Amino acid sequence: MRNAFIVLFCKILSSLTQKLNLGNGSTWPGHIAIRINPHIINQLLKNSRTKILFIVGTNGKTTTTSLLSHILTADGKKIIHNSSGANLLNGIASILLQNSTFFGKIDADVALFEIDENIFPLITKSLRPDAVVALNLFRDQLDRYGEINTIAEKWRKAIASLPQSTKLYLNADDPQIAYLGRKAHQEVFYFGLEEKSDARLDHAADSTYCPACGNKLLFSTVYYAHLGIWKCPNGDFSRPKPNLYSSDYYPLSGLYNKYNTIAAMLVAKSLGLTNEDVSKSLRTFSPAFGRQEKITYHHKHVEIILAKNPAGFNQTLQTINELKAKNILFVLNDRIADGKDVSWIWDVDFEKLQKDKKTITISGDRVYDMALRCKYAGLESKSKNNLEEAISYALSQMEKNETLFIIPTYTAMLEVRKIITGKKIL
Amino acid sequence: MKHALTIGWLYPDLMSTYGDRGNVIALEKRCGWRDIATTLVPIGQDTPSAKIQTLDLLFGGGAQDREQGLVMKDLYKKRDVILQHIEQMKPALFVCGAPQLMGKYYEPSIGKRIEGLGIFDITTRHPGQSSERLIGNTAAEVNWDGLGEKDHGSTTIIGFENHGGRTFLGKDAKPFAYVLEGFGNNGEDKTEGVMYKNAIGCYFHGPLLPKNPEIADWIIKKALEIKYQEKIELAFLDDSLEKKAHDTIVERLGISV
Repeated sequence: MRNAFIVLFCKILSSLTQKLNLGNGSTWPGHIAIRINPHIINQLLKNSRTKILFIVGTNGKTTTTSLLSHILTADGKKIIHNSSGANLLNGIASILLQNSTFFGKIDADVALFEIDENIFPLITKSLRPDAVVALNLFRDQLDRYGEINTIAEKWRKAIASLPQSTKLYLNADDPQIAYLGRKAHQEVFYFGLEEKSDARLDHAADSTYCPACGNKLLFSTVYYAHLGIWKCPNGDFSRPKPNLYSSDYYPLSGLYNKYNTIAAMLVAKSLGLTNEDVSKSLRTFSPAFGRQEKITYHHKHVEIILAKNPAGFNQTLQTINELKAKNILFVLNDRIADGKDVSWIWDVDFEKLQKDKKTITISGDRVYDMALRCKYAGLESKSKNNLEEAISYALSQMEKNETLFIIPTYTAMLEVRKIITGKKIL
Repeated sequence: MKHALTIGWLYPDLMSTYGDRGNVIALEKRCGWRDIATTLVPIGQDTPSAKIQTLDLLFGGGAQDREQGLVMKDLYKKRDVILQHIEQMKPALFVCGAPQLMGKYYEPSIGKRIEGLGIFDITTRHPGQSSERLIGNTAAEVNWDGLGEKDHGSTTIIGFENHGGRTFLGKDAKPFAYVLEGFGNNGEDKTEGVMYKNAIGCYFHGPLLPKNPEIADWIIKKALEIKYQEKIELAFLDDSLEKKAHDTIVERLGISV
């Protein structure tokens, strides 16, 4: 009975904070609810049909969550998911409470939660997911996240603590992620690619040593960064055979989005959907904000592609090369959500950007750091401190049918969208 | 091309944590713009000593903990040839965690003391898992006297530090710079990094040289002078963009120079 009051209270609080524009009401109600009843989430879940699914990984969480949400919604399932930044227990509790009935039941078939790398080992102590999707681990914001071997080790322990009934969906091509499955006592499903690739291990490749014994791995195929088909020369560990390795349709450009797509597809299939169901709904997918999001602005085309670490940035550069981009705007910020250390831009292969660009414009808190990186890669660029001016300048250099590719870091992406769409996301 | 330099890069796949490559790119480009030819030699576990003896300058970046163990095993085998390089007054630059490996020893928070190569008279200890890492933008004043450039005047170097270990200089060691803002070697004595002959160790991690081109040019100049045994004047380069990137951090840290 007490939970009914908490649910009611949280619903009122959420709608009030939204109406009074005090933020999107994402974490507060959960915070208060847990203070009143620390067991509320598990009590609600026990009564509900809701399956909890965690999505973890350095890159692709938001896209994979959107893909999965789209596919499952198209199948008639009721889906709830967390918004960016609301991935602590409070945020998750808030979403579950907002979607609960007064009888203490969560009204959703599947709850999809994007979980931050550092939060995953903590949140699994209080909330047991029914399934975990692990996408990849790349170097990202060392000042915040630490080294990837350390993260992988914490994830292994977190997974070991989860019940046997938890299903694991793991990227077979990422050695550290595949290793999570090797000793897991749960059922594991792997996704990975099986196609030709001319790529070689690039400079930003992280996990090129055997997670089991420390020997240098042998890669027979590299897809990007350290993702590929590999084995340890010791014979003690090799890339697992994927349960799913392709889709007949990919809604987003770039190899990295192939992984996101097949990860979402693998989960959907194990929830009973057929290839046809998934393939059909993928065709109506539109990307999440800032993830290859296409916007028309002042009668010109703009495409925003978030890039926040070397592996993601390299993939973005490869993608815009393939898309024959002529006009680019890089925006580099160094706020907490971006990582205060911008050293990582020197791990990005700007040297591989095709040299036929018409204009490269640069902006952001660390505009000159980015301009310097471009200079040392032999790229000419124009620096504009003010982001609005940078966008206007870049657009002024373009013909009507051309596209401006904006490559921002996380907080820069929020600013770019605010200028272009006139709306805040958070 | 009148001049050429061979640049050695220690374990590019193991000791390259966060943008360390920027230093190699800066050295190559700043040579290239001056018509100085460069050859880059990645040094790995199978690189013979004879190859290392051909280097004109040496660079090493930071390793993650796991990789550091792998590196250390191999480094002991290369100690003599690296020491020989430095004793011959050839320049070397070690950033991030690399100076720790070149020091006397490193005491991690858990586990046994790791013996370094003992080239720098420094010792490092990690004060325990519960102690704060020293993280943030940082600025320091270069010890030009120590680098043998008495009339050089002042140079503020800027960068980013992120280290758990605290390093202390032995009585014979000279600091590379003096902290203006940030933590430096240990957060206590205002020293930053270490130098011995023409080898520099610096806690600033990642791309030290692009935004501090005076240091890049000092290394290039020294390498040429040792190799060609003549006084070298490097050609002027337009560093206005380098200066803007540098000054952004100087201003943000509120340092008056």
